[in-house]
Amino acid sequence: MGFSLAWRLFKHEARRGELSIILSAIILSVAAVLSLSLFSERLQGALNERSAEFIAADRQLSSRKPIEIEWLEQAKNQNLDVAEQVSTRSMVFANEQLQLVDLRAVSQTYPLKGSIKLSAEPFAIGESIVEVPSMHEAWLDSRLFQVLNINIGDEIEIGDAVFTATRVLSEIPDAGFSVFNTDPMVLINLDALAKTNVTGPGSRVNYKAYFVGTDDALDTFYSNIKSEFQREYHRWLSVDDDESPIGESVARAEQFFLLASLLAIVLACVAIGVAAQRYAQRHFDPVAIMKTLGASTSTIRKVYLYQIIFIALLGIVLGTVIGFLVQQVVVSALAGTVDVSLQVWYWRPLIIAIFTGSICALLFCLYPLLGLFAIPPLRVLRRDMASTLKTRGGQYATSGLAIFGLMYAYSQNFKVSAIMFISGLILVVLLLGATYGLIALGRVLGQGRMSAAQLAWARIKRRALDNSVQLISFALTLMLLLIVLVMRNDIVKQWQEQLPEGTANYFMINVTDAQKDDLAQHFAQNAVLSDDLYPVTRGRFAKINDIVLRSEVTKENEDSTNERRAGMGREANLTWGTELQQANEIVAGEWHDAWSHENSELGEGIYPVSVEVEAAKRMGIAMGDVLSFNIGSEIVNVQVTSLRQVNWQTMQPNFFFVLHPDAMARFTPTYITSFFLPEERKPELAQLLRPFPNVTLFDVDARINQIRSIIDQVSAAVEFILVLVLVAGALVLIAQVQASMDERQRELAILRTLGAQGGLIRRSVIYEFLIIGSVAGFMAALANEVSLYLLQSQVFQMTTSIHFEYWIVAPLTGAIVVGLLGAVSCRALLQLNTSTLLRKVL
Amino acid sequence: MIQVTNITKIVTTGNGSLQILQPISFTVTEGQSVAIVGASGSGKSTLLGLLAGLDTVTEGSIKLDGASLETMDEEARAQIRGQKVGFIFQAFMLVPSLTALENVMLPAEINGSNNPKALAKDALEKVGLAHRASHYPNQLSGGEQQRVAIARAFITQPKILFADEPTGNLDADNSLKVEQLLFDLNQQAGTTLVLVTHDNELAQRCERQLIMSAGQLSEISAQAATERAS
Repeated sequence: MGFSLAWRLFKHEARRGELSIILSAIILSVAAVLSLSLFSERLQGALNERSAEFIAADRQLSSRKPIEIEWLEQAKNQNLDVAEQVSTRSMVFANEQLQLVDLRAVSQTYPLKGSIKLSAEPFAIGESIVEVPSMHEAWLDSRLFQVLNINIGDEIEIGDAVFTATRVLSEIPDAGFSVFNTDPMVLINLDALAKTNVTGPGSRVNYKAYFVGTDDALDTFYSNIKSEFQREYHRWLSVDDDESPIGESVARAEQFFLLASLLAIVLACVAIGVAAQRYAQRHFDPVAIMKTLGASTSTIRKVYLYQIIFIALLGIVLGTVIGFLVQQVVVSALAGTVDVSLQVWYWRPLIIAIFTGSICALLFCLYPLLGLFAIPPLRVLRRDMASTLKTRGGQYATSGLAIFGLMYAYSQNFKVSAIMFISGLILVVLLLGATYGLIALGRVLGQGRMSAAQLAWARIKRRALDNSVQLISFALTLMLLLIVLVMRNDIVKQWQEQLPEGTANYFMINVTDAQKDDLAQHFAQNAVLSDDLYPVTRGRFAKINDIVLRSEVTKENEDSTNERRAGMGREANLTWGTELQQANEIVAGEWHDAWSHENSELGEGIYPVSVEVEAAKRMGIAMGDVLSFNIGSEIVNVQVTSLRQVNWQTMQPNFFFVLHPDAMARFTPTYITSFFLPEERKPELAQLLRPFPNVTLFDVDARINQIRSIIDQVSAAVEFILVLVLVAGALVLIAQVQASMDERQRELAILRTLGAQGGLIRRSVIYEFLIIGSVAGFMAALANEVSLYLLQSQVFQMTTSIHFEYWIVAPLTGAIVVGLLGAVSCRALLQLNTSTLLRKVL
Repeated sequence: MIQVTNITKIVTTGNGSLQILQPISFTVTEGQSVAIVGASGSGKSTLLGLLAGLDTVTEGSIKLDGASLETMDEEARAQIRGQKVGFIFQAFMLVPSLTALENVMLPAEINGSNNPKALAKDALEKVGLAHRASHYPNQLSGGEQQRVAIARAFITQPKILFADEPTGNLDADNSLKVEQLLFDLNQQAGTTLVLVTHDNELAQRCERQLIMSAGQLSEISAQAATERAS
């Protein structure tokens, strides 16, 4: 009997639109979670693919000794694609000139991800190719053609072998991202390396193996060989380890998607919670009737559990279809900007969406249903009898646990889940306090002649608990929307600041003291904006507090996968100045601009130095330590008087060590600078540099464009997610207003019957919603600050700030949106004639 | 059929406990029709709720066709209601999302009767609403809704029928029709009828009249009843 009755009830209620709110809540939750997570999964896939290009594979094994052949064999047996690269620094001889180069010998399959780019002439735009140099070929960096004064087709010598410089090497995927300390690159075939004899004993050689395959196969392979790794030699890299600006942008975007999806889940929960409560209340009478007619509790339980299952199933099916379509439409619409493939299908989002739909439906309906089951049959005689299930504590605890469980299940990130959850709890407590405060205020205001405002206060007062629940759900929704909105603004802003228009795309080093002014003048004449010139001298880092450095400290010098640390080794780039560079911030001690010999508290012949804080940490350098550098045959002693935090994501010269100018007065430096040249002016480069033949040019344009395109893609995606969450939020607000209008219907009907004018009723409802909306908005802004602070400082590692503008925007928007929705729902009710209205509610 | 012995009902309110019913005893025999009359708030509906097993007594005992309600839990009382009791309410109490036919079928289904649909059609026929079988309650007038409720009350051929102000929400014309129908069907089925009403004319049609006043029940003689009615 349970099943057939449940089916009949379901069928009729669905047809008559009575299930629309709970059904749309489930559809909304499933669709939002599915489209968000499917989209973000696809986008992450695409971004990972892009990021993979930066290590030229899915995983990379870097080693300072030859990689075991068995490991490579094992990888191949496990269906992984494998490529190899051996790199070393070596001298190239041509045209009677010698030049130190970064020699890379690659296997036939290199690169597994991304591509090698070659250009027709030096400093021209590169184009991808799918081959590697043949046995006698060498592909050379543009700079080498410039420095060695050679042309395509000329011969060069590397060690004992002769190669023909056949192409201009524009880019390789895993070139790294350093401007300093890198020598121009030469690419040869791995099989040709042996004949050069440059990798003999004593040379510093880095070996890399590249792997591509499924995540499972890669993980299995890694776990098989991991135990054989020697810490000092081997390093395993995956795309997630990418510490470049791109890696960080992608990681931050991923966190944002995760956050947005979590918020979508919470929104869904709120929507279902509200809808389930309303659903249960609507069924108080039918349950009382059935009980009166002799239905047992188990029959009633069955009827309603089946009902909820039918609703959840329908909601999940419709939600899945809608979510999939929404995502498909959006991906197609973004196709030009975002590189997301529609072909790839991910099961995880579907499973999560179904899981969310069913868990939300069952857990959030559970308590309202328990209340429903406890409706006494006596309600048929006493209409005001409500559920005998007293405590709401159980409901809150169940709902809270369900939300937290879903958040954790989805994110697998305790910190993010806990932050969101705790902010939510704080908000709930704040709101409960606020509601009761409001009610007290309402008591004072709600006296005197009956007006629309007074009716509104009277309703708020009378429905204190219901209102607090409503207020909480409005505020939670607004808070979630605020978090997503502000996070999106902050993230996109910080990305854009990272690479503003006109970011330097060329670097010049080896500018001599004599050329300094000429160069500045020449550039100005050609209308090219160049950055400041920074003096640079290479020094050998010899001692810390008179302790001679062991060679181990310097090994990072060779680590080209982590270029930001380059220069940390024995050879350090020293600069000096009294002006603190942009994007540098003193975090300990004092900047040395005020230092002079006369007021020096340092020892005799010791000058101040500022050290980059992370470098100091890694090398065990503390404030007050005395560092010694060998420059030529002289020794410079400096004492650490400040530590600086450096934003490495800016594309400008940054240094680990900044000395006081007096320390370097006796040395002749060269200078480094950067400039921006728009793409269309690229052909002018050669002419621009002709007067300065000794100056070495670095072209980072390609890299910057790569980063910018990824950031644009991610920003577009973030934008889409924002819109999706806003739409979800708006729907939840509508559901909430509708649900609460439902509860107001009876009262409105009575007021109407008693002759209250439509205008008075409408105004009173609008006032009521305006008050609720603005309070909810204000509370949401407060809670938003707390959660943003926690999220940005603990999860996103971003600089935090207070968003005062939202303290005004949120209450205003809350009041307007909620008020408007209230007005619209009220209007629909008031359009019914009084008898229809009465029949509807009585 | 109904044997009430010294029942009381005390409820706890915010201001202490309140005795709604003083000790009450009476008996209703099989097939008898009894009206409980009295002013609003006198305790009529409370008494009806107790008699029907919708609520529990504080003290005393109620036997419904031999079954002691005060010893039963909610489930057992529901079972008794399903098997032996029919209801008619002032507010009709139809399930809004079921059609007239399905509303009538409901008790038969709960009761596990064979072919509830045929029984329901038959019952709707008897109340003259076969043509409105597929309508929902909000598509029916008040009188029609109450007739559906009557059909629902009789579908399981209950031994006892409880009616709470069955004409309370109806205009005079519809009241008469419903009243007529109720008594006709009651007579045909030989059901015991207990009805609570304000309406003296309706009460008059019952064999016995009991009056509730401040929680106390007393029997009105036929003569007194006629006087009240006039």
